[in-house]
Amino acid sequence: MGVTPQAGHVVSDGKLCAKGWHGFGFVRSPKRLTTPLIKDEKGVFQKATWDEAYTKIKEGFSRAMTGGDNTDTIGIFASARCTNEENFLMAKLARMSLKTSSIDHCARL
Amino acid sequence: MTNSISDVGLSDCILVIGSNTTEQHPLVATQVFDALEKGATLFVVDPRKIRLAEFAHEYAEIEPGTNLALINALIHIIIEEDLYDKEFVKNRVENFDAVRESVKDCTAAWAETITQIPAETIERIARGFATAKRGSILYAMGITQHKTGTKNVGALANLSMITGHVGREGTGLNPLRGQNNVQGACDMGGLPDVFPGYHKAVNPETKEKFTKAWGEVSCLDGNKISEMFDRIEEGKMKAMYVMGENPILSDPDQTHVIHCFESLDFLVVQDIFLTETAQYADVVLPGASFIEKDGTFTNTERRVQLIHKVLEPIGMSKPDWQILAEMMQLFGYEGHYDSVGDIMDEINELVPQYGGITHARIQEVGIQWPCPTKDHPGTPYLHKDKFARGKGLMQVTPYEIPGEQVSEEYPLIMTTGRVHHHYHTGTMTRKVWTLDREFPKGFVEIHKKDAEALGIWDHQEVTITSRRGSITAKALVTESIKEGVVFVPFHFVESPVNKLTSQVVDPVTKIPEYKVTAVRIEVTK
Repeated sequence: MGVTPQAGHVVSDGKLCAKGWHGFGFVRSPKRLTTPLIKDEKGVFQKATWDEAYTKIKEGFSRAMTGGDNTDTIGIFASARCTNEENFLMAKLARMSLKTSSIDHCARL
Repeated sequence: MTNSISDVGLSDCILVIGSNTTEQHPLVATQVFDALEKGATLFVVDPRKIRLAEFAHEYAEIEPGTNLALINALIHIIIEEDLYDKEFVKNRVENFDAVRESVKDCTAAWAETITQIPAETIERIARGFATAKRGSILYAMGITQHKTGTKNVGALANLSMITGHVGREGTGLNPLRGQNNVQGACDMGGLPDVFPGYHKAVNPETKEKFTKAWGEVSCLDGNKISEMFDRIEEGKMKAMYVMGENPILSDPDQTHVIHCFESLDFLVVQDIFLTETAQYADVVLPGASFIEKDGTFTNTERRVQLIHKVLEPIGMSKPDWQILAEMMQLFGYEGHYDSVGDIMDEINELVPQYGGITHARIQEVGIQWPCPTKDHPGTPYLHKDKFARGKGLMQVTPYEIPGEQVSEEYPLIMTTGRVHHHYHTGTMTRKVWTLDREFPKGFVEIHKKDAEALGIWDHQEVTITSRRGSITAKALVTESIKEGVVFVPFHFVESPVNKLTSQVVDPVTKIPEYKVTAVRIEVTK
């Protein structure tokens, strides 16, 4: 696996910085998360299936839902490292599905 | 950025203030060097003698937290010496007289007492910038991460406007954005006060538009990050969903942040690693990295560019968009998305700035928003003939002292930031050995004279203490930092600098005052 800058590119003009050249090795790090995890009663993470994780999430968020607007009960962090499409869906999930306006990300950090 | 990255190379005078451009935006810095080769003038304002300072015609070593005094003085001098762009001010700007009145006592001598920059240096910067043909301002978090962050930006906008250095090629007020898609995350509504496309949440038209598109929606001016933590402390906020962020290392006053995460009833973290924040989660979801999925990122010059999947997501992990789509279905959404292209179609409908930016159009070269229609070429620079609101509104921005002050017990000012080889909380870059070997440990930069007075040797382990806590780090003794100021990067979990930072924030944006924390330093016993 390697990285090559694109000659004549309108932004990079064929150049890369150190993170551009090297900043991808982590994608095959043995520390990557490869399954959903659920914390058990003892506070230890256990591997789980997606269905088990989603069931747990449905229960968890349902406890915080007021029946009306959840702006003060549910908080959402979108991500400056995720794509536009993902941030758009996160905004939609927050405002439409979870009925919260408390969505923010690390733009200030 | 109001202008494009390539525009910087066309400037004949560049003011770099609160941006360590060669470290953090190296490709933008190449444009600064291009401009210098063509004879441009460079002014650098920073409490650290950064690499660009070596090439600067004027380097102003500023006292942290005093940008506003400097910028107001620049405006004062330019108006007093009649160097402002009268045509631009007359035709394009409102509120000039109020600003003129507000800076009438902001002389260079006054600013010298606050900023500790010699008055002559301030005057030379003012004259040089005002008389340039194409002046460009580059700034980053050295301007924004202050109690007066919003006012600092407002004052820089005033400076751009009175000199007419905006709305033309080679000019502009150019914030350099720090993360690959921080621009896009804002554009897409990852903010509590706006829907995607900067539709103000509380406007009735927004409610109408999005209710029609999505059904019933929450249309409040929601809690910003620091306010969410307040709501948790009050016992109101019960559940949180954190995607691709690590607030335990990145947010101010770590003890407070950890207490908040511990107090939550339910926390979901979606990430590619088990981050410090994920440790506090009830459920952790494995997302995909940038080369395991398709989509678009929007860079600092508003250019929307495609990324393509080259590897399958590792293990059972999934592209984050797919997880989010499934989450929406979990909570009753009946629609579905088969590809990121389906999502972009919806963005084209609802986000006017992205109206004409389709995946098909950006296969080769990205397009800069605003791009309202499918035949629009995109917009290299903003505010060409008029500002978004019509006339540019100048703001009165009086100087204020920083939220945190030094004392006998905490006599040094600490400013936090980044190094070239690491990214944010190091979740990714610290796992890449070719990057991590360059900076494997946290450090504190301290001036030689301060180090001598404290009996600190180069590379000695020291303890840094603020009003909120202590950390240890390796001392880097240097003459490239202002006396009385120390610098600590925030990438290192072993030296978690946000244990020291305060909860002082800008009242408007709630950005933390990361550039001014009072500390003391001693050799670790």
